[in-house]
Amino acid sequence: MRIPIERFTLENGLRVVFSEDHALPVVAVNLWYNVGSRNERPGRTGFAHLFEHMMFQGSQNVPNTEHIAHIERVGGSMNGSTWLDRTNYFETVPAHQLELALWLESDRMGFLLPAMTQEKLDNQRSVVQNERRQRVDNQPYGDWDERIQALVYPPEHPYHHSVIGSMEDLDAATLEDVAEFFRTYYAPNNAVLSVVGDFKREEALALVERYFGSLPRGPEPPPLPGRPELSLRIGREVREVVEATVALPRVYLAYRIPPYGSDEFYPADIAAHLLAAGKASRLYRSLVREQRIAQDVVAYAFPIVTGASMMVLWATAAPGRLLEDVERALLAQVDALSEAPPSEAEMQRALTRIESRETIGMQQVGERADHLSLYTTLFDDPERINTELDRYRAVTPEQVQRMAREYLVEENRVVLSYTPKQAEEAA
Amino acid sequence: MHADAMRPEEAFRRTPPGPGALRDFGLPPVERRTLANGLTLLSCTSRHFPVVTVSMLLEAGGVYEPAEKAGVAALTAELLESGAGARSAADIAEDAESLGVSLGSSISWDVAYVGLTGLRSKLEPASEILASVVREPTFPLEEVERLRAERLAEILQRRADPRSLASEMASRFVFSPETPFSRPLGGPSATVAMLQRGDVETFYRARYRPGDTSVLVVGDISADEAAALVEARLGDWSGVPEPAGEVLVRPRSPEAQMIIIDRPGAVQSELRIGHVGVERATPDYFSIVVMNTILGGAFSSRLNLSLRERHGYTYGVSSGFAMRRSPGSFLVSTAVQTEVTAPAVREVLATLAGMRDAEVTPAELNDARNYLAGIFPLRVQTTDGLASRLAELVIYGLPEDYFEHYRERVLAVSADEVLRAAQRYLRPAELAVVVVGDAAKIAGPLAELGLGEPRIYNQEGEER
Repeated sequence: MRIPIERFTLENGLRVVFSEDHALPVVAVNLWYNVGSRNERPGRTGFAHLFEHMMFQGSQNVPNTEHIAHIERVGGSMNGSTWLDRTNYFETVPAHQLELALWLESDRMGFLLPAMTQEKLDNQRSVVQNERRQRVDNQPYGDWDERIQALVYPPEHPYHHSVIGSMEDLDAATLEDVAEFFRTYYAPNNAVLSVVGDFKREEALALVERYFGSLPRGPEPPPLPGRPELSLRIGREVREVVEATVALPRVYLAYRIPPYGSDEFYPADIAAHLLAAGKASRLYRSLVREQRIAQDVVAYAFPIVTGASMMVLWATAAPGRLLEDVERALLAQVDALSEAPPSEAEMQRALTRIESRETIGMQQVGERADHLSLYTTLFDDPERINTELDRYRAVTPEQVQRMAREYLVEENRVVLSYTPKQAEEAA
Repeated sequence: MHADAMRPEEAFRRTPPGPGALRDFGLPPVERRTLANGLTLLSCTSRHFPVVTVSMLLEAGGVYEPAEKAGVAALTAELLESGAGARSAADIAEDAESLGVSLGSSISWDVAYVGLTGLRSKLEPASEILASVVREPTFPLEEVERLRAERLAEILQRRADPRSLASEMASRFVFSPETPFSRPLGGPSATVAMLQRGDVETFYRARYRPGDTSVLVVGDISADEAAALVEARLGDWSGVPEPAGEVLVRPRSPEAQMIIIDRPGAVQSELRIGHVGVERATPDYFSIVVMNTILGGAFSSRLNLSLRERHGYTYGVSSGFAMRRSPGSFLVSTAVQTEVTAPAVREVLATLAGMRDAEVTPAELNDARNYLAGIFPLRVQTTDGLASRLAELVIYGLPEDYFEHYRERVLAVSADEVLRAAQRYLRPAELAVVVVGDAAKIAGPLAELGLGEPRIYNQEGEER
């Protein structure tokens, strides 16, 4: 199965990727802006995400709240999201509404600022602070990624702080920040536009030119703040223990690994699959099914590109089990990866799983569009949508072992433990 | 602030563009067959990706478990993968994952689902595993004990999660204790802790039978191939589920109630506001869905525009009717900053009242109808999505041509029908207002809303 791709670059630098598919009368429009929380300056953590919210508050020709209303009233779905390396905006609409989606996206790429007001900023600040309360502060283990990032990356690295940011920094954000951020990062030359689905190339190209062609190129975005380069080893073991409102203790392990996209990332991603993807995985089999000391297990290699990525594993202790024992069992499985290469059958299982996941996910035009924007933004190579699996297929068992020996080691390890806070109310 | 200039010759930017030519859309045809053993097969061919979903629907959902064995339906479904035929739990996991298929089993209140999605090339061996776990599970004792312990730990974890706790408590305060929906799907710890292997075997024998079972096969496979596959794997399976009693659904209280589940120090209050809703087979289905879309079923709904976009009380709010074979709940759900708990509840109550007091505007009506009609094709892009639509037909006994007429029926709903749906299915006098939050901070203001003095419970649901 091969996804057809056509690629264009407008004069203003906007990179455009098309992929036609006439199976259903739907079309996905997906924009990645090459800006994320890594671009935030000190004192403004959380701003890239707050800004993403402002992009839904109307632009010169789109009244407040009407962006989403336009999409909903034609039966489309849409959203945006902010992450460490990027911010994306996307909608899937009935095919005959492609022009509407392009109009909406171009209006906010070109003419956002005339619509910005203090009232809108205050409202969305409040919404985002409630998002933080809901996802982080009022949620068991809700601040794990914030804590892990702060421990894996030094203060001067752009990944040291979380995407959601701190309440204080959100409070400090001003309208001037919105204007400056927009002028710095929201320009055609810092974005990728992908269109996937039921459209005709010539028509769609003309529409893209009409709506985006005259938007002015922006300045070259400034280099990332702080020091993005860093060693792929932390240099020591870092431990943190948190008492929190959780029912069961949980331990997280985190390691620096080579960045997403590099050849060395793929053995790490396969290792994460071997460890915890599915019930045949090593951690599930050993900690959950056989020893019954863990309630759940997770392992994940972050697809992030700045300096170093990280692999994060966690296990929640089953009731009555000691977290030290869970940690020891987790580490034993991590160490086993260093001691011997995985079997061919295990490798094959991980690979088959990744292949199925990719194929099943690609059924949705929105998913395809997001992948095209991803590969173009991060690697300037949309064709990777068709070649990425080859990178996984090329990984040998010995490379997985070598990766584990190199990176999944004590001197490169963060251990974050959550333990239940003693009940405050004596019943 | 200086406006970034729009070019004068680009006046076309000032107004939204109209639609292009509407493209035809139809679901691929659904083919229905009945096997000699009573098993129903629905298949639907979609060849665009080399992917197939097979989903079995069994009459083994939560409503079929006796109250004193609550949790047995969920435990049984989960244990199917813990051993079948000659395979151990580890064998099943390894064999399925070697094929790259995601095998899964779960329950709703109405049915149990056992199914898989995978590449077409792996379908033959994958369906053998699927048939085996449904037909010949072995329920090994150590797996029964392990999964029972896992469920108990999960119940413990849900208590610590305000969102799950609020949903569990909403069910408890909306429905009378003898209504199955008053308890969590999956059972409360009191009964789960007592479940034995024999309970699982008894439930399995009574409910997992081909009569009344449906198999949905969707994706890169023809109707004949699907039939041959199902016949080969399930054709010689026999039996019918035992007859089951009626599901009784009653409200917990005929009057409005204000309930606080105390969570000292909480920075947000989780709100669930609702009452007994309506069954899926209601003739008012389309009016209710359009009404709910305007109320809280979309981003541009009244509740979200008010609580989020106007007041900034919350990250989001929604409303919904859980429609089952029998009436589930109607609930407004949100999480709001502790300090604005009472104003947020007041705003929800006012919005509900507003839906009953006057017709929605023509613009609201149009937007909601078009949203529902337009969103439909988006939901059938995947074999999973298509299978879920077919499952609706099967579970609720909808006519075969139901989805062919779906869009026109949505578009035909009138403002008057929406008003009548609101007046009939939103009943302020019966609302349970359930708030998981810091009682010391919110009880006073909530007492002033006219729903009586709040009753305060601890996180185990015991009244203080």
